[in-house]
This record gives sequence, structure tokens and C-alpha cells, in this order.
Amino acid sequence: MTENAIITIENLNKHFKSGDLLSKVLKDINLEIERGECIVLKGVSGSGKTTLLSIMGGLDRPSSGKVLVEGESISKLPDLHISHFRAQKIGMIFQHFNLFDHLTATENVMIPLIPARLSMDEVDQKVHSSLKLANISHKAESTAGRLSGGEKQRVAIARALVSDPAIILCDEPTANLDRDNSLKFIEILGQLHEMGKTIVVATHDPLFDTLSFANRVVPMEDGSLVGSISKGLQ
Amino acid sequence: MRNSPFFHFLTLEFFKERKKHMGVIAISLVILFLLSSVLFISSSIRYSLEQTLDQEPDFVVQRIQGGERVSVPTEWMDRLLEIHGISSVTARVYGRYFFKSKEKSFLIVGVDFMDEQSHKALRTIMDEVDLREFLKGDNMLVGGGVSHYLKSHFYPKGYTFLTPKGAFKKVHLFKVLPRESNLIANDMIIVPIELAQEIFGMNEEEVSDITFNVPNDDEWANVEDKISSFHYDLRVITKNDIKKAYENLYNYKGGIFLILFLITIVTFVLILYQRYSMVYSSERRHIGLLRALGWSINDVLKLKFFETMMVVIVAYILGVGLAYLYVFVLGAPLLREIFLGGANLHNVITLVPVLNFGILSSIFLIYAVPFVSAVLIPVWKIAVTDPKEAML
Ligand SMILES: Nc1ncnc2c1ncn2[C@@H]1O[C@H](COP(=O)(O)OP(=O)(O)OP(=O)(O)O)[C@@H](O)[C@H]1O
Ligand SMILES: [Mg+2]
Repeated sequence: MTENAIITIENLNKHFKSGDLLSKVLKDINLEIERGECIVLKGVSGSGKTTLLSIMGGLDRPSSGKVLVEGESISKLPDLHISHFRAQKIGMIFQHFNLFDHLTATENVMIPLIPARLSMDEVDQKVHSSLKLANISHKAESTAGRLSGGEKQRVAIARALVSDPAIILCDEPTANLDRDNSLKFIEILGQLHEMGKTIVVATHDPLFDTLSFANRVVPMEDGSLVGSISKGLQ
Repeated sequence: MRNSPFFHFLTLEFFKERKKHMGVIAISLVILFLLSSVLFISSSIRYSLEQTLDQEPDFVVQRIQGGERVSVPTEWMDRLLEIHGISSVTARVYGRYFFKSKEKSFLIVGVDFMDEQSHKALRTIMDEVDLREFLKGDNMLVGGGVSHYLKSHFYPKGYTFLTPKGAFKKVHLFKVLPRESNLIANDMIIVPIELAQEIFGMNEEEVSDITFNVPNDDEWANVEDKISSFHYDLRVITKNDIKKAYENLYNYKGGIFLILFLITIVTFVLILYQRYSMVYSSERRHIGLLRALGWSINDVLKLKFFETMMVVIVAYILGVGLAYLYVFVLGAPLLREIFLGGANLHNVITLVPVLNFGILSSIFLIYAVPFVSAVLIPVWKIAVTDPKEAML
């Protein structure tokens, strides 16, 4: 384990049982991600990207193996701890944005902060600066359901950033965006990278092949990592 | 609380998703309204009955021959007076009188106005009657139902009764009894005791039954035993027997309703349970997403608990409040027929507002406990699973 590693995955396996059928979705995965790194997990549909990402984010548990985040094993934490871990360390950006459509942008961004026992003023202030960072302040009071795809995506980014997590996990972030919005997203991702966030993007979008700031592209195939193309830290 | 992001979010969710809650509130409101109306009516009736029965004599002595009630000889009274512990021995003359059409009958009650004890039970009703004037001729006091019947059959001033001996007896309508007395006196005709004896074809040594009180409760069983052995065809009825008979009747009607409500509530709760535990419901995504965004199981349960409590409390206050208005202000149209119907005439009684903590809290518990569990159990089940649904 490198000293600088923020996420360490050791011999990770994940399988799902449906009846008698056992499908192995992740096979013997070993991966080390350094603090501040930007990693692109690349693979076709069904290769296990989402599954790997949800295990890293503490949304799912491995069948065997270990996931260490900042040296702490998250796979066996009790619920209260793993919830805290998610709230403080992880920012999630989902393929389908997953906003609460009946709430406004501001209210959506507020959600991760609610269990944190902050005052209303602190919450307002954090939400405000996060919306600004994601470049969506002008739609702060709009109902999420009425926003365009690109705007929704930026609200989702603001929500992922609001508790100032060290790690940002993105699952197919551009799958529902047009080219322009995809490029805008990549631009914001670049800013986050500059801020020192550790970023993991799961995607099969070719736009990410030529990402100027990506340190590594990790190809995934049928549940395994197949070598990695390192671009070296900038 | 105003400065708490949790309550801010709670109220936000509640009001922005009010459409989701409206249906549930509406159904709850109807159930709560009916449930509280029935409980209000039955407790009010029970209260009135207790008040009425309190004024009734402790014991009634009747005579039974061949399974039928027959008149009691007045000499029994003297024998009763010899028993230790008995007071206020009174003879009563009353009976049902069937009108021409035979489908209507009224209760004729003869009162010995010379005897203080005899009209004690009716005292409240008779308070405003000018007795001197009343006793001058053949007069009667009638309840609201009787008055209504006589008027509609064109006897506004009085009625000519036909005695079993074939004679006619003309009686003037002296006064209609006040509305408040309608629970007991609605179909009652009150006349002097001699007049009642005449209408029923009895002689002066005969009465319908004899009543008396036993002030010491401990003596009741003892006295009952003693009197039963007086005469082979004598029957004794205690106030407790009457009370039980009435209570059984109203408990029975109330019980049927309660069972109906329980069935309704159970059905409703099952529907709610289904709704919250549906595999691909939006609720499931909702919860999964909150969990993915760093909410613990407790945080989710807390939100859903308060959200449900808000629904419960809004529905409770509205439902119980409307029931109160319906029963005690409007007088419970329709439902009262079911409870008070079966009496000979359309009853025009006033439901006295009776509100006690017991009724209010049982309504709340009958409704809130199953409701809250029907929501929280499936929510909890969803919340404990890993929140990867959010990723799909
Ligand atoms: N809960 C589950 N039960 C059974 N099989 C599952 C479950 N979740 C995922 N899988 C299977 O695991 C495999 C990998 O799924 P995953 O969603 O991780 O792929 P992916 O790389 O994200 O695909 P896509 O690019 O389409 O999003 C798929 O074959 C899928 O059918
Ligand atoms: Mg996927």
C-alpha cells in the first residue's frame, strides 16, 4: 500500500445469486487510487463498472476482499458509520441524475447536509457556494423536474460537492447529455481535479479517452481490470 | 426548530408532496370521522341512560301468570313495608295502549300525585306543570312523539280511549312534555293513577307493579331473596338488570360498528403497507437515494416517522373535529336513526356532548398505531438493505 493511497482495493470479488444461478460480476480486483488522482474506468455495458463504483462508495458490500478508504476498511462498518462515511467522504454523481424532481435545486443540494446537525445558516451558505462552483446558481430556486439535462447534471454536481468530500464518484456522467453539456461537465471535472479531489469516472464515452487531466484510464472487461494506461501525474 | 434543517426539510417535503398525502388524509379523515361519530353517539347515549336510570327505583315487583304480566294486588305493598331496609314503596299503574291502527302504541303512565315518592322519577319532567289545574279534570301530559302522532291524526286537543270493558274515556291533552325528556318520555302519556286504572280496566285494589328502594347496597341480594319467596308468581327486577339490558343493546350496536371500522382500518393499513413495500415504488428509490446521499437508517426512519405523524395528526384533528360538529351540533342526522331507531317513534332526543380523554385517546390509538406501523415497517425494511437501488 502506497502512503499516498486514498482508496485501496484488495482481491475484491462480487457475485450475485439469483436462485441457483451464481453470476460473478467482479473478479479479483486490485486497485490503488492516489489522493488527487483522476481515474477513468472504461468498459462496455455489463462489465461491472457500476457495481465496482457502488462498492467504493459504500452503497454495496463486497462478497470477498477488502476496500480501504484512507486506511479504514469500509466493508464491515455498521450502518451509522458507513452513512457518516458516505456523507463526509463521498460525493456521488449518478447516470440518471437522481434528483428529487418536486424539490428546487437548492433543496436538492441541501439533502446530504441534513443529518449533519448544522445550523440553517451554515447549510444555506454551503449550498450557495456549492451551486456557484457547479455554475448553476442562476437556477437555484427552479424546480428540479423542470430543468434541462445539463442543468440537472450541474445540480447533481453541486449536491455531490456540498459536504466537501475528498472523493467524487461519477457513474456514466455524460450518458444523458449532449456533446456541449458533456464538454461543460468535463470542464467542471477539471476544476475539481485542480481543487485536489480524487475522482473516479465510470464511462464508455470516448470523450474521456482524451481527457487532458486524467491520470489513468483503467479498462474493465467482464468484471476484471485489464492493465491500465497511466498518463502520469501532472 | 425553525433553525433546524431537519424540520425545514420535513415541512418542505410534506407540503411539496401534499398531493401524495391528500388521498391518505382524505381516507383517514372519513374513517376517523365515522369512528368518532359512533363513539361520541354511543357514549352520549350511555351517559343519558345512566342519568335517567339513576332516577329509577332500585326494585320493581311484578306478578306473572302463565308467562304473562298481570296486575298486582295492593295488599302486597303492606307486606313489603314490613321488611327491614326497604323504603319508598310505591304502586305504579302503566301499560301500552294500542291505537286504532294497531301499529302504534304508547306507554300510559299513571302517577299518584298525592304521593311525593310516586312522581319523584318524573319530577324533572313535571316541574313546570300546574298540578292543581291538571288534577281538576281528565287530563294527560304527552311526550313529543305522542303529540306528533295525535296531531297528525287530527286529535290536537285530546283523545277518547276505549277501555277493555268497552267504555269510552275522553281525556284532554293538557301539555306536551319538554324536548329534553324525549329519550325516556317520547312515547309516554302521563295521567293520574285513577285515570290509568280506568283506561286499563283495573279496579282500585290493582296496580301494574310495585317499586321500592333499598338504600343500603349490601342488602340488595338479601332483599331480593326474601321477596322472591313471598308469592309463587311474583317476579323481582332490579335496576342493575335494566341497566344491563340497555347497555347490552347499545354495546351491541356500537360493537357492530367497531368491528366494521376495524375491518376498514385493517384494509386501509394493508393498502398502505403494500404501497410502501412495493418493489419498484418511487418510495423505494426515494429512500435508497437518501441513504446513498449519506443518511443513516435512523435518519430515514426519523423523517418518515415525523412525516406520517403529521398526516396522522392533521387527519385526527379534522376527523374528530368534524365528528364533534356532526354529532353534537347537527345532532347526528342518519346515524342517530341506527342507534335510536327501533323505538316506537321517531326519537327527538338531544345528544348531550360527552367528551372524555378515554374516548379521544382510544380513537387516536386505534387509528395511529396501525397506520404508523404500516408505513414504518416497510420503510425500515427498505432502509436496511444496501442503498444501491439509487445507482440504477
Ligand atoms: N443486483 C444484481 N443482481 C444480479 N445481477 C446483477 C445485479 N447488479 C448487477 N448485476 C449484473 O452485474 C453485471 C454488471 O453490472 P453493472 O451495472 O456493474 O455493469 P456496468 O458496467 O455498469 O454496465 P452499464 O455500462 O450498462 O452501466 C451485469 O451483468 C448485471 O446484470
Ligand atoms: Mg452502469
